[in-house]
Amino acid sequence: MKKTYSLLRHLTVLLICLMCMSPFLVLLNLSLNTPRHNLYEDSLIVPDFYFGNYAEGWVKSHIGRAMVNSGIIAFAALALIVLLGAMAGYTVARFPNRFNRMVFSVLLGCMMIPGIINTVPLYTLMIRIKAVNTLWGMALVCATLALPQAVFVFSGFIQSIPRELEEAAIIDGCSYFTAFWRVVFPLLKPSVSAVVILNGFGIWNNYSQAVFFLQSSEKHNVPQALSVYFQQFAGAQWNLMAATAVIAIVPVVAVFLVFQKRIMSGLTEGAIKG
Amino acid sequence: MKKKKIGLHLFMAVPAFVLYGIFFIYPLTKGIGMSLTNWNGYSAPEFVGLKNFVDFFGDARALHDIKTTVLFTLGSAPLLNLVGLLYALLMNSKIKGKSVARACIYMPAIISPLIMGYIWYLLLQPGRGILFTVFDRMGHPEWFGNWMGSYSTTMLVLVLVNVWQYAGMTMIIYLAGLQNISQDLYEAAMIDGAGAFARFCRITLPLLIPSIRINVVTNIIGSLSVFDIVMSLTGGGPGYQTETLSIYIMRMCYGSKTGYSTAVAIVMFVIVLVPVLISLRLMKRKD
Repeated sequence: MKKTYSLLRHLTVLLICLMCMSPFLVLLNLSLNTPRHNLYEDSLIVPDFYFGNYAEGWVKSHIGRAMVNSGIIAFAALALIVLLGAMAGYTVARFPNRFNRMVFSVLLGCMMIPGIINTVPLYTLMIRIKAVNTLWGMALVCATLALPQAVFVFSGFIQSIPRELEEAAIIDGCSYFTAFWRVVFPLLKPSVSAVVILNGFGIWNNYSQAVFFLQSSEKHNVPQALSVYFQQFAGAQWNLMAATAVIAIVPVVAVFLVFQKRIMSGLTEGAIKG
Repeated sequence: MKKKKIGLHLFMAVPAFVLYGIFFIYPLTKGIGMSLTNWNGYSAPEFVGLKNFVDFFGDARALHDIKTTVLFTLGSAPLLNLVGLLYALLMNSKIKGKSVARACIYMPAIISPLIMGYIWYLLLQPGRGILFTVFDRMGHPEWFGNWMGSYSTTMLVLVLVNVWQYAGMTMIIYLAGLQNISQDLYEAAMIDGAGAFARFCRITLPLLIPSIRINVVTNIIGSLSVFDIVMSLTGGGPGYQTETLSIYIMRMCYGSKTGYSTAVAIVMFVIVLVPVLISLRLMKRKD
């Protein structure tokens, strides 16, 4: 009885995994077919192992440039989120005076507001400060949208760190800033990875803000470049589109697989406490 | 010099607050002002009072977008939580190759929903789609329904694709919650003769409340502001039928109705706030 139950459980998990992976397999399969491969007559399962789609897609879609853009935006935004978020989280957790409590509750309240709601007025502001179609502007927008959650995660985590550590450093003559940088910040690693994971993929994949703030084709990020590229075909040339999509997915999947273990433990230890 | 140092550390939240103030709070308040004008994006705005809001509630397309957005959320938020919780319970039991399975389930969530939408469109497209071809080759073209042709089935596809993509994310948070529950509690309950169902209701669920709260609130917010997946899977079609409020805001803004689009955003804000506050209040009571 127990054995059949266990077998059933394993089968279910296998089925779920297959269900989650199947679209990727279809995509990979398609991307390896020649343009002349006809799904009605030729094999559905074995592709032609033709890599020409990748070369053609790479050149035509400018996906390389888009990946550099997405990378710069994600890196800058994450650096800002971690830096400002940790600093704010620290003061909120350690010195809950009236100002800091106010900052915290304003941020928490705004966490409930989806970014799209203030995008239109933000767009007019961005035009005025000449930040539309710039990578730094997009990075600032992405950082802003992620900030409340980061402050929330950091302050929660800092509250679980004993105060004595910094106090010892301060007695030894450190200023609060050095105590924060030298003692507290290195302890925040699980939270830093949680914040980076929770936001990193989302910023790389951001589309709803990119539609507004990255309109010029030189500044397109990955989803924006793909959507413009895909719309040209209107449902034709799937092999080419599939290859381009695979190119766009590869770096994200690679990062995920390399850091997989840390991602899971970071989310468990660093983000969800109590 | 030393005195200055002691005072300044109290204000380490200031940089975050300044950034947030400039790029979030200022535009938000400005949007309220803009919603009362007929601004088209370039010429001087004119004050029109509450006309935009009156127009909104007389705008059949906008009202239909609300219906679509709410229906999508009603389908996707509960289903995401249910599926995520089931996955988490399954992954929390004794299973070989757990970390591989976890990675497989989480994988869709890291991919751009835009790409996901295109992949699913490619699979489900009528006539040329992969699924149709497969059924056709098997000699059963009638198995393929034109799921992207009618409102109700398209909505169902959108909800299922969204759940398929983000169930892994919900699962991870539930899994983290489950791992924080001490095994001693279950052992004690088993000694007292509690069955599996009773253990789940009396121990697991109450102790999962923090995870449930995070998941419910983020899923409600995420579903109500859904954008990418609808853009790539249906483009809001057929016609404007599956257009959501976020897409409508974007299209109105591009359509030189800037003032009106900020008014729509404010309506959307209220639509998001109500269920979030209600669910937060409900779960506080249970705590």
